Amino acid sequence: MKTNQKKAWFFLAPTIIFVTLFSIYPILRAFGMSFQSGSLIDLRWTGFSNYQYIFKDPEFWLAIKNTVLYAIISVPVGLAISIMLAWIIFDKVKHKSFFETTFFMPYVTSTIAIGIVFRYIFNGDYGMLNFVLRCLHLHAPDWIDDPAMSLTTIIIFGIWSSLAFNIVILMGALRNIDPNFYTIADMFGASGRDKFWRITMPELVPTITFLLTMNVIGAFKIYTSVYALFNGQAGVGNSGTTAVFYIYNKFQIVGTPGVAMAATVVLFLIILFATFLQRKMMKKIGEY
Amino acid sequence: MDNNKFVEVKNLRKVYDNGHEAIKNVSFSVKKGDLVCLLGPSGCGKTTILNILAGLLNPTEGDILFNGKSVVKVAPKDRHIGYVFQNYALYPHMTVLQNVMFPLIVGANKKSKAEAKKIATKYMELTQITELADQKPGNLSGGQQQRVAIARALVQEPQILLMDEPLSNLDARLRLKIREEIRSLVKSVGITTLFVTHDQEEALSIGDKIILFNDGVIQQDDLGQNFYLEPNNYFVANFVGNPVIDNFKITKTANELKSSQFTINLADLEQSRFKREIPDGEYILSVRPENIVPDPEGLFETKVDDIELIGRERILKFTFDNQQVRSLINLETPIKRGDQIKLKMRFNRVFLFTPEGERVY
Repeated sequence: MKTNQKKAWFFLAPTIIFVTLFSIYPILRAFGMSFQSGSLIDLRWTGFSNYQYIFKDPEFWLAIKNTVLYAIISVPVGLAISIMLAWIIFDKVKHKSFFETTFFMPYVTSTIAIGIVFRYIFNGDYGMLNFVLRCLHLHAPDWIDDPAMSLTTIIIFGIWSSLAFNIVILMGALRNIDPNFYTIADMFGASGRDKFWRITMPELVPTITFLLTMNVIGAFKIYTSVYALFNGQAGVGNSGTTAVFYIYNKFQIVGTPGVAMAATVVLFLIILFATFLQRKMMKKIGEY
Repeated sequence: MDNNKFVEVKNLRKVYDNGHEAIKNVSFSVKKGDLVCLLGPSGCGKTTILNILAGLLNPTEGDILFNGKSVVKVAPKDRHIGYVFQNYALYPHMTVLQNVMFPLIVGANKKSKAEAKKIATKYMELTQITELADQKPGNLSGGQQQRVAIARALVQEPQILLMDEPLSNLDARLRLKIREEIRSLVKSVGITTLFVTHDQEEALSIGDKIILFNDGVIQQDDLGQNFYLEPNNYFVANFVGNPVIDNFKITKTANELKSSQFTINLADLEQSRFKREIPDGEYILSVRPENIVPDPEGLFETKVDDIELIGRERILKFTFDNQQVRSLINLETPIKRGDQIKLKMRFNRVFLFTPEGERVY
């Protein structure tokens, strides 16, 4: 038993070293740095001053507000659209694999590249989106250059880019449902609605829980899409700034790593809380 | 309304898209309230027939009548059938009660929750699963899941119950118990039941009658004991019976049946059992192991290769024409492995088949 345990440590060592070095240490270091001020080579312990600073900083509050809004709008809407599309492809479409591949493409394409394409689509003057809106005689806003529209644009982009991963995972889950469940429901005379709400949705709950967790965490860490959409800025006049944008800005541009780390710790706590909350919620909805 | 033809299948034929002819001109009928077993080796078409009856598959040709009315063009949900799948297909996210209630709370004729619960409770009492009401299927044993599936199939009060190998997921001992339960249950409900199985013992024990299929053709449609006593052909004789029947190659001459080791005088056979005049030539003589027994006056002598004990009886094994032959004897008979013994056949119990499998005696 003893020797066995020694051996176990040996085999675990590579993982332990890597996890400690690249996950645990950075977390602890970030936590420590949030109580320090000065540049990276000259850090001093200054207590809660960084936290006092960010809580007084209106830009921080805007970043948090944008991030939270983004998460609570784009995640449920994106997931709902994903479920709908996955169900349609699964139920009605022939050549599923072709569509699945098509839908998965955005996931393997660089967000920066997609962002650049979307800059054209969203362009207020010659963009495709506004062309369509004008054809339908609808209001055509300035998606990129109007500060009031920044968050909306980011959310639309976020929803679109979340579809790929979600649909592929949901298709897998749909495929795992025993087809006899539907055969027998048909025999009992169940309608399409009955089948969707009483069989498909409950069977998808574990998958939806997983996707919700992944999507929420991803949403709180939003950065690249903002960067790509607004050409390296956080929208006009920082109107589309997000938590990670704020952190990056304070760390790299302003050069106050302590402030950045304080914001990181706050973001970490928010994600932890959000994940915990939705776990509880999904548990109530029902697991096996 | 003809109660003897409650379910009637007429000249049914099914060719799958890949060209495989699963069913070739099958006709049979089922009496109201009967429990009929569709028996056959895998790939014989029995499940295809069940699925056609259920409306899950369309027949290529032929007609199906339930209670005198053709249902070929009727949707599965309007056929008044209950169906139990081999793997039960219980909804894992629902409790037992919710599973049993499911057929009552969906579709166009849905009932109120309270009414559905009342009916579901009645059938759960009948299948003895009332105390499992709040459990999820994942926590139930195979036998319990089986009962839930049956209760769910019965709540819509169908006229016909279709079961596709419902016992194949259970262990041997439970299978014996559940098959008796199924029989007494369907009899107490009085529902006409078609039961697909590949297990002859299962079919013999619970079926009011058995329809034996092979290669998409009915081999015999009869009462259980007749498969044993009066098999229609060589396939039936060899499919039904445990241990399996012994077969001897013989040549018929003017007044004798000759094998490599024995000769039977045709006059010793019961003349009334001949189905027709048979010409001289090659035939197969088949005899059930209990009808070929040790006797000092025996027909031929052989060495006991091996002895297998099966409860009350023992199977003696011999080699004849390089094939194994068995004799079923009483446990007490003092015969040992390696003994040289003489064997006798009961001539009024043997069968004679042509090489094509047609029974002639």
